Amino acid sequence: MSSPASYTAQRWAGRSLVAVVLIVFGLFFLVPVIWLLLAGTKTNHQLVDGNPFSFGSLSALRHNWDALMSFQSGSFKTWMKNSVLYAGLALVITLVVSIPAGYALAKLDFKGRRPLLIVTLVVMLMPTSALVLPIFLEVNYVHLVNTPLSVILPFSFFPFGVYLAYIYFADAVPSELLEAAKIDGCSEVRTFTAIALPLGMPVVALVGFFSFVQNWNNFFLPYVMLPRSDAYPMQVGLTQMLTSTPNFNPVVGASAEVSPPELVLATLVSAAPVLVIFLLAQRYVVSGLTAGATKG
Amino acid sequence: MEMVPRNAARVRRSRRVSRVRAAALVAGAVVGALSLAACGGQSVGGSTSKIADSNSKYGFKTASQDSKAQITVWVDSTREPIAKAYNAAHPDAQVKIVTYDGNANGSNSFKTKTQLFDRAGSGWPDVTFTTDNNSAAWGSFSGTGDLAAVNKGLVPDTTLNNFAKGSLDVCTVDGTSYCLRNDLAQNVLWYNKTLMDKFGYQVPTTWEDYEKLADKVATEHPGYIVGTAGDAWTPEIYMWAAQCPANDVTGPKTVKVDTSDPNCVKGAKLIDDLVANKTMSTLSLFGPDFAKNDADKVLMLPGPSWYGGSVFQGTLKTPAGQVAAAPALKWADASDTVTGDVGGGAWWISSHSKNLAAAADFATWVTSQAKYGDALAPTYPAYTPAAQTWAAETQKSGYYADDIVTPMSQAAGQVWSGWGSAQFSQEAIWAKVVQAGMSQGKTVESLLPAWQTEIENQAKTFGYEVTK
Amino acid sequence: MTATSSERVATVAPEAASNRIRTGSWRPRAGHAFVAPYVALLALFGIIPVCYSIYLAFTDVGGGFVGFSNFSRTAQDYRFLPALGHVAVYLLIWLVMLSVLVVLLTLLVHQLVSRRTKTVIRLAYYIPGALAGASSVLLWLFVLDPTVSPVAPILKALGSDHFTDVVAPGHLPVIFAVIAFWTGAGGWVLVLYGALNTIPSDVLEAAKVDGAGRVRTALRIQLPMIRKSITYMLILAFAAGTQLFVEPQLISQASFGIVPNDYSVNQLAYQYAFTQNDFNGSAAIALDLLVIALISTGLFVARGRLFETD
Repeated sequence: MSSPASYTAQRWAGRSLVAVVLIVFGLFFLVPVIWLLLAGTKTNHQLVDGNPFSFGSLSALRHNWDALMSFQSGSFKTWMKNSVLYAGLALVITLVVSIPAGYALAKLDFKGRRPLLIVTLVVMLMPTSALVLPIFLEVNYVHLVNTPLSVILPFSFFPFGVYLAYIYFADAVPSELLEAAKIDGCSEVRTFTAIALPLGMPVVALVGFFSFVQNWNNFFLPYVMLPRSDAYPMQVGLTQMLTSTPNFNPVVGASAEVSPPELVLATLVSAAPVLVIFLLAQRYVVSGLTAGATKG
Repeated sequence: MEMVPRNAARVRRSRRVSRVRAAALVAGAVVGALSLAACGGQSVGGSTSKIADSNSKYGFKTASQDSKAQITVWVDSTREPIAKAYNAAHPDAQVKIVTYDGNANGSNSFKTKTQLFDRAGSGWPDVTFTTDNNSAAWGSFSGTGDLAAVNKGLVPDTTLNNFAKGSLDVCTVDGTSYCLRNDLAQNVLWYNKTLMDKFGYQVPTTWEDYEKLADKVATEHPGYIVGTAGDAWTPEIYMWAAQCPANDVTGPKTVKVDTSDPNCVKGAKLIDDLVANKTMSTLSLFGPDFAKNDADKVLMLPGPSWYGGSVFQGTLKTPAGQVAAAPALKWADASDTVTGDVGGGAWWISSHSKNLAAAADFATWVTSQAKYGDALAPTYPAYTPAAQTWAAETQKSGYYADDIVTPMSQAAGQVWSGWGSAQFSQEAIWAKVVQAGMSQGKTVESLLPAWQTEIENQAKTFGYEVTK
Repeated sequence: MTATSSERVATVAPEAASNRIRTGSWRPRAGHAFVAPYVALLALFGIIPVCYSIYLAFTDVGGGFVGFSNFSRTAQDYRFLPALGHVAVYLLIWLVMLSVLVVLLTLLVHQLVSRRTKTVIRLAYYIPGALAGASSVLLWLFVLDPTVSPVAPILKALGSDHFTDVVAPGHLPVIFAVIAFWTGAGGWVLVLYGALNTIPSDVLEAAKVDGAGRVRTALRIQLPMIRKSITYMLILAFAAGTQLFVEPQLISQASFGIVPNDYSVNQLAYQYAFTQNDFNGSAAIALDLLVIALISTGLFVARGRLFETD
C-alpha cells in the first residue's frame, strides 16, 4: 500500500493523462470541423491564401449564403425539404419495424428465430453496390421509380437497427420483469409496450438516430431512384454543386456558380439537422437507464 | 456448450431446412419474375449491331411518335439558363428541365443512369447535355442507351455543316454521328502579353522555339512558368499536338496504341525537359496549391480555349488587359499545324424519344446560341456562326490584351483526328500511371511503357481489340 | 474442448432457455407478429436482391448458367489482386485502430464525473459523422494539401510538401484508416457507451468496495460485460472495411484521379457494373466480398459467442 500523498499524486497523474488523451482526440475530430466552420465565412481567395484558422468576414458569409440560396433558382431549399421528408418518414417506419423485431428476437421464442438472425447478418454483410441494381429493378417493376417511396421503403429496411435492439433487449431488459407482467395477465403486446419499450427508450433513440443519419447521408440510392432534380435529396444536390465548382469541373469558367466556401456552407447547413437530432437523442441515450434493475 | 436434448435439436434443424427450402423457392420465383422483367442488357464485348434501320426516315428504329409529347432534357447547372431560354423563346414547347452533374469530373452519370434505364426499359431523357463528348463510344451500340443518329435524317445537313470542321468526329462511329457538339476546347497558346513585353520575349510559333524560350526563362526569370502538367488532361495538350498514337480509335471496338512511337517520345521529352528546368508546373491548375504559389507567375500556357475565362479570369484572377492567345504551336517536322482538344461538351438525343422532332429542335436551337440570356456562353461554341458572334463579343469585353478570335477560330479546324474518344478514360489512365509516377520523380519518357500497358489493360477491360 | 471453430460455427449459441419467455405451446404467433413487418422488408430489400445478385453472378448476359466463369474472369482482372491487397492492409490498420482506440475512448469518457463534459466530448467526437459527401471531398482536398492545410505542420513534419506526396501509394491505407476513424469512431463510441450504461451500478460499486482500481474494473468487469457489443462492432467494422468504398472514392475525387478509382475491391465491383455495364462480373466480385465477410464473421461469432445471452 502506498502512502496517501503518493496515492493522490498517482491519481492526479492518472487524471491528467486521461485529460490529455481525451483532448488530443478531441482536437483530431474537431480541427477539420473548425476549419470547415470558418471556411464558410471567407472568400475563395481568403480560403486559399489566408490563415486556415482565421475568421473571414460577416459580409463574405452573407454573400456565400445569398449565392447558396440563389443556386439554380433556389434548389437548395427544395433539396433540404426532400431530405427531411425521406429521412423523416423512413425514420418512423424504421422504428415501428425494427424495435419490435429486435425485441422479439431477444425475448420471445418463435419458429425461425435463429435463421432470421443469421439471414439478417448475411444481408448486412452484402456489399451495397451489388444490391442497387436488383432494388432498382424491383422498384421499377412496381412502377415506383421517381416517387418518394422508392427511397423511403429501402431506407426503412435497417438490419443494423434490429441488431442494436436485439442486443440491447437481450442484455439490458431482465426477463423476470416480463415474466412478472405476463403472470399479471398482460398480453404480449401489452408487455412490450408497457414494460419493455419504456426500458428500451435508449435503444429507440440510438436506432432512430443512426437510421436518420445513414439515410440523410445516403447518396447512391436516391441518385439512382430519382432522376428528377426537384426530387433530389441534399446529398445528391451537394454532389451537383460540387461539379459546379471550378475545382472539380474546370469548364464552368469564370462565371463559376459555386465557389468552395459556398459549398462548405451548404454542407454545414445540410449537416445541421443531423446534429440537432443528435442533441435530442443524447438525452435519451444517457437518461438514467434502469437496465439491469433486477440483475444482481 | 450445447445443452439442448439431441432430438429437440434435430427437430429444430429439420424444420429449419424445410423453411430455408421454402424461402429459397419463394425467392427463386421472384428472381425469375424479375429477370424476365429485366431483359436486354449487353455483354462486355458489346454487340456491335447498330440501331440502324434504313426504312425509317431518321435512319434508326424509333418509338411511336407523338408531336405533342413533352420532352425531358438533362443539363448541368451551367447549361440550365440556355434550356430555360429555349422555353422562354418557345412558349408552346415547354420542355421539362432536369439538372444533373453533367458527367463532370468523370462521374459517368449519364452512362450509369442510362444502363439502369436500359434494364428497366424506360426512363431515358430525350436530350442530354454532357461536359465530355465520348458517349458515342457506348451509346452507339444497341442495348446501351441507343443514342439517336443525327446525320441520317434527324438534323438537316445544312445545320450539321455549320459545326466546326471535325467537331463531330469525336461522336462519330462508322460514319454515323450521335451528337450535336456544344462547345470546342481546341488548344491554343495562352500567354501573358504584359510579362512577355516586359521580359522582351517573342511569342513562339513552334514547339521547338517554345522549348528554347523555356530554357531562357529558366535562367533569366526563374520561378516563371510556361506550362503545366499537373492535370489529367496533360496528354490532350502535349501528346495530342505531337500526334502521338496513344488513342487512335480505328473502329467501334478497335484501338491502336503505340506509346513508343517517336511522336510520343517527342512529347514526353518536352514535358520532362520543362519539368526539369522548373518552367513547367506539376501542380493541378485548379488545386489550392497552384493558385497560391503560381498565380502571378504564368508567362505562357498551352491549353484549351476555355482557359481564358476559366483559368485566367476565374481562378488566377489575372488583371484585365494582360492575357492574349496565340495560334496553336506547330512541331517543326510536322507537315502542318495540328492541335489537341480538352473536353468540349455535347448534346445527345435518345432514340427512344417519343417526340424526336421536338428533341432535335431543342438541341439544334441551344447549340446555335452564342448567348445564354444576357450573358455570353461560358465556352467557345462549336456551331460556327455562333462562334463568330461569341468571339467578337468576348473580344469586346476588353479583358484580353490582343486578338484572340483569329487564333481560336484557326485552331478550331486544326484538331488532329488521330486521337479518338473511346469508352475508357485516357485522363484517368494518365492520372493513375503517369502523374502518380511523376510525383515520385520519374520522367514521362520512362513511364511510356507503363502508360502503354495501362491503356491496353483498360481497353481490353472494355472489350476493345488493341493493335500497335 | 476439441471442437474446431468451424464445428462450433455450425452449432453456435443455443438459446439460453432460461432467459427467454417460452411461449412455445401456447401463443406461437406473438413472436411472428412482432417480426412480420421486418421480415417483409427483409425479403424485399435484403433476401431478394441478394438472391438476384447470386443469380447474376452465375449467369451471363443472356441469363444462361455459366458456373464460376464470372468469378474466374474477374479474379484474373489485372486490377483485382492489387485491390485485394490494398483492402487487406487497410483492414489490418483500421481494425487495430478501432478496437484499441474506440474502447479506450469510451471507457475514458464513461468514467468522467461531470455530465456536461461527457455530453460535450461525445458530441465533439461524433460531429464528423454528420458530414458526408461533397463537403468531405472538399474538406480532405484542403486538409491533405500541405500548402493550405490546417494541419500543415504535421504533414510537413511527416515529409510531405505537396498534395501528391501526401497521397503517395504507400500512405493511402493509413490515410483511409484515419478518414474512416474520423468519420466513424464517434458513432461507435456512442454504441459502446450505451452498452457500458447497461452495467448495473451496484456491480461497479461492489468492485470499488473490493478495492479494484479503475483499470482493473475496466478489464475485469466492464470489458467482459460489453463483449457482445465489441464483437459486434468488430464484425460490422470488418464487413464495412472489406467494402471500403467511400474513402478512396473521396480521395480519388479530391486528388483529381491520381489516386485511381479502382483502388478497392468494392470500387472495382462498382466499375464493373456502372462503367463496363457488366453486372454479372460486378455481382461475382460482390459475392467474393460477401464470402470473405461471412467466413470472418463466422469466426467472430464462434469466438465471441454472439448469439448467447448470459
